[in-house]
Amino acid sequence: MMLELFIVSAFLFSIGLAIVITRKNAIFVLMGIELMLNASNINLIAMGGANGQGVFFGLFVIVIAAAEAAVGLALVLKIYHHYNTIELDKVNELKD
Amino acid sequence: MQTTTLITNWDFNGYWLLVMLALPLLSLGMNVAFSKNERLPILSSALLFASTFIALFLLYSTWNSSLKFNLNWFSIGSNSYTITLLVDRISGLMLFVVTFISALVHWFSVDYMRDDAGRNRYFALLGLFTFSMLGILVTSNLLIIFMFWELVGLSSYLLIGYWFNKESAAAASKKAFIVNRIGDIGFVIGLAIAWFNFQSFDLLVIQESLNSSLPGVTVNLISICGLMLFLGAMGKSAQFPLQVWLPDAMEGPTPVSALIHAATMVAAGVYLIIRVSFLLSSDALLVVAVTGAITAFMGAYAALFQNDIKKVLAFSTISQLGYMIIGVGVGASDAAFFHLLTHAFFKAGLFLGAGAIIYAIHKAYPSDDVDAQDMRNMGKLKSAMPVTFSAYLVFSLALIGIPFTSGFLSKESILLGSMHAASTQGGLYWLVAGLGFLSVILTSFYVVRMLALVFFGTRRNSNEKAIKESSVTFKIVLLTLAVGSIGFVWSYNPFSVDSSWILNSINLRKYAQTELPHLLTSVLSLICISVGAGVALLGHKRDRLVPKNRSAVIALSLNNWYLDDIYQFIIITPFKALTRFLKQIEIKVLDRVVHLMAVSTAVLSHVIGWLDRHIVDGFVSASVYVVGRTGILTKSIQGGKVQSYILLAILGLIIIIFLVI
Repeated sequence: MMLELFIVSAFLFSIGLAIVITRKNAIFVLMGIELMLNASNINLIAMGGANGQGVFFGLFVIVIAAAEAAVGLALVLKIYHHYNTIELDKVNELKD
Repeated sequence: MQTTTLITNWDFNGYWLLVMLALPLLSLGMNVAFSKNERLPILSSALLFASTFIALFLLYSTWNSSLKFNLNWFSIGSNSYTITLLVDRISGLMLFVVTFISALVHWFSVDYMRDDAGRNRYFALLGLFTFSMLGILVTSNLLIIFMFWELVGLSSYLLIGYWFNKESAAAASKKAFIVNRIGDIGFVIGLAIAWFNFQSFDLLVIQESLNSSLPGVTVNLISICGLMLFLGAMGKSAQFPLQVWLPDAMEGPTPVSALIHAATMVAAGVYLIIRVSFLLSSDALLVVAVTGAITAFMGAYAALFQNDIKKVLAFSTISQLGYMIIGVGVGASDAAFFHLLTHAFFKAGLFLGAGAIIYAIHKAYPSDDVDAQDMRNMGKLKSAMPVTFSAYLVFSLALIGIPFTSGFLSKESILLGSMHAASTQGGLYWLVAGLGFLSVILTSFYVVRMLALVFFGTRRNSNEKAIKESSVTFKIVLLTLAVGSIGFVWSYNPFSVDSSWILNSINLRKYAQTELPHLLTSVLSLICISVGAGVALLGHKRDRLVPKNRSAVIALSLNNWYLDDIYQFIIITPFKALTRFLKQIEIKVLDRVVHLMAVSTAVLSHVIGWLDRHIVDGFVSASVYVVGRTGILTKSIQGGKVQSYILLAILGLIIIIFLVI
C-alpha cells in the first residue's frame, strides 16, 4: 500500500516539477507548485501511520497552500499590471 | 696666549659683543633698504662710532680675564659642534682698532663720496666689510674664521670694483678675488689637516691637545697645517708671491684703500698667522720669515719710483706687511701684532690724507685732464693744505720709523726680533735681518721722495689755481689718526720698545727681552734711515726725483718686478692655451660623443617603444580579451530565466541527495 502511495506521490511531484520548469505562463507555474505540494501531502499521509495523524498535517498544508496561492495570484496580477504580460521569460529586468 | 681665568658664563659682556657685531650689519641693512636716503651715511658713521665705544668697553672689561663662551652650533650624532666666542687682549685690541678705523673711514667718506650716485651702496659695503672683519676677530673657531674670511674677500671684491663701469676697476676686483682664492685653497687644506689631527677647529682646543702632545699627532703634519694656513694669510696679507692684487686694489675709492690697508683685509692675514703661530715648527717659521723678508724688500723696492701716490702707499703696505710676517717668523708675534696696530693708524692716515689731497685736486680741476693721483702734478701743497701736511708728515715719519713715532717702536721691536733670531740661529735669518734693514733704507727713500714731490718743490703744471683744504671732517679725522701715530700713545718712553704697554701686556715671545741688542739695532736702523733720506733729499735738491730716462733699475721698480708680466707669461698664457685646447677637445670629441649618445638613445627608445606596443601591451590586451570572453560566456548562465535557475537548483539538490545517500 505504502509503495503505491509513494509511486503516486513521486509521479505527481515529477509532473508538477515538469510543469514548473517547462511552462512559460506564471499561472501554470503556480499550478505546478500546487501539484508538488499535493505530492508532498500524499507523502505525509502515507507516512502518517495507521492512526491518521498525517491527515492533520495534510489539512494544514492544504490551508496554507490556499493562502499561498492567493498571495501568488495577487503577485501575478501585479506583475501583469506592471509588465502587461505574465510570460516569465519576458519578465527579465535583472538580466542586464 | 694669556693664562688668566676665563669668563665662561654668558654674561653682560657677551651681549655687548653681539651688539657690536650687529651695528655694522644694521648699517648695511639700512643702506640697502633706503638706498636713496641722503642722511644715512652720517647715521652709518654714528653706528660705527657706537660700535667703537662698545669695543672699547669690551677691551676694558676683558683686559684681565678673557671673555670666552661656547655656543652650541649643531650636533651630528654624538659629535656636537660649538662656536667659541673668544675675546682676549689680542682680539680685544684688534676689535677696537678695526671699529675705530672703520668709523673714521665712514666719517671721512661722508664728505668724500657726497657726490657719488651709488653712495648708499658704498656705505652698505663698508658695513659688510667691517662686519666680516669683526667676525674673524671674535671667534677662535677656525671654520667660523674661514667663513668670515671669505666674507672679507667678497666685500673687498665688491668695494675694489665699486666703480665697476671702469674696466680697470672691474679687472682689479677680479684679480684680487682670484689671487685670494689661491691662498684660500691653502686655508681649506689647513682646516682639513687640523680636523684630521685634532678633531676640532677650535684654536684653544688645538693648542691644548698640542701641549699635551697626544699620541698619533705628527709634528710634520702640524707644521704643514700651519704652513697651509700661512698660505691663506699670504693671499690676504699680500705676501710674495701673491702680492700682485694689492697695487691693483687702488682702483677702489681711496677711503676703501685706507680700510683695506689698515684695518680689515690685509690685517686679517697677519692676525690669523699670529693666532696660529704656535702651530709652526722652527723650519716653518724660517719659511715664514724668509717670505716676509722677501716681501718687505720687494714691496719697498717697487715703491721707489712709483709716480702714483696711491701706488707708493700700496707698495709700502706690502713692505710693512712683510715686516709683520718677519715678526711672526722670527718668533716675535707680539712685535708683529704691535706693528699691525701702529701701522693701522698711520697707514689709514696716509691713505685718507692722500684721499684729501686727491679730493682737493679734483675740486680745483673738475675736468678729467689732470690725473689727480699723479705726484708729478702735485708740489708745494704744504702751504695750500697745512693741516693735511702736518698730519701727513706725522704718518710718513711713523712709516719710516723716526723716533717719537709709533712706527719707530713697532719696527724696532721687529728688527730686534730678527737680530735676535739671526744671532742665535744664524743662517738664513741673517738674510732676513739684512733684508729688513735694507728695506728700512728703501722705505725712508721713497717716503721722503713722496713728501718732497707732494708738499715741497715748485708748483707744477697743474697747480696754478689755489688748492684748498676741503672739509672740517677731513681735518678732524686726519688729526685723530695723527695722534694715534705718536710714540707716546704706545709707550711712555718713546725710545724704549720695552716700555711699550702693548708689548708688555701681550707677551708672545720665546726669549727674554734683556738679551736683545737694543742699542745696536736702534743705531743701525737710524743710520739706514738717514742714508735713504739723504739720498732722497739729494735727489730733491738736484730735481731728479722723477727720473727722466728709464733705466732697467727704475723700470723694475715701476713694474713691480714685472710680476704681473711673469704671471701672465708663466700662468695665464699657458692656462688660456690650455683652455682653448680643452675647448677644442670639448667641441671635437666630447660634443660628438654626447651627440652620438643622444642619437643612439633616440634609436634605442624607438626600439623599446615598438617592443612596448607590441609585446608588453600584447600580453595585457590578450589577458583583457580572455577575461572578456569568459565574462560573456558565463553571463549567459545568468540569463534572467527563472525556470532555468529552478532547474539548476533541483539538479543540485538531486546531486546532494545522491551524495548523501
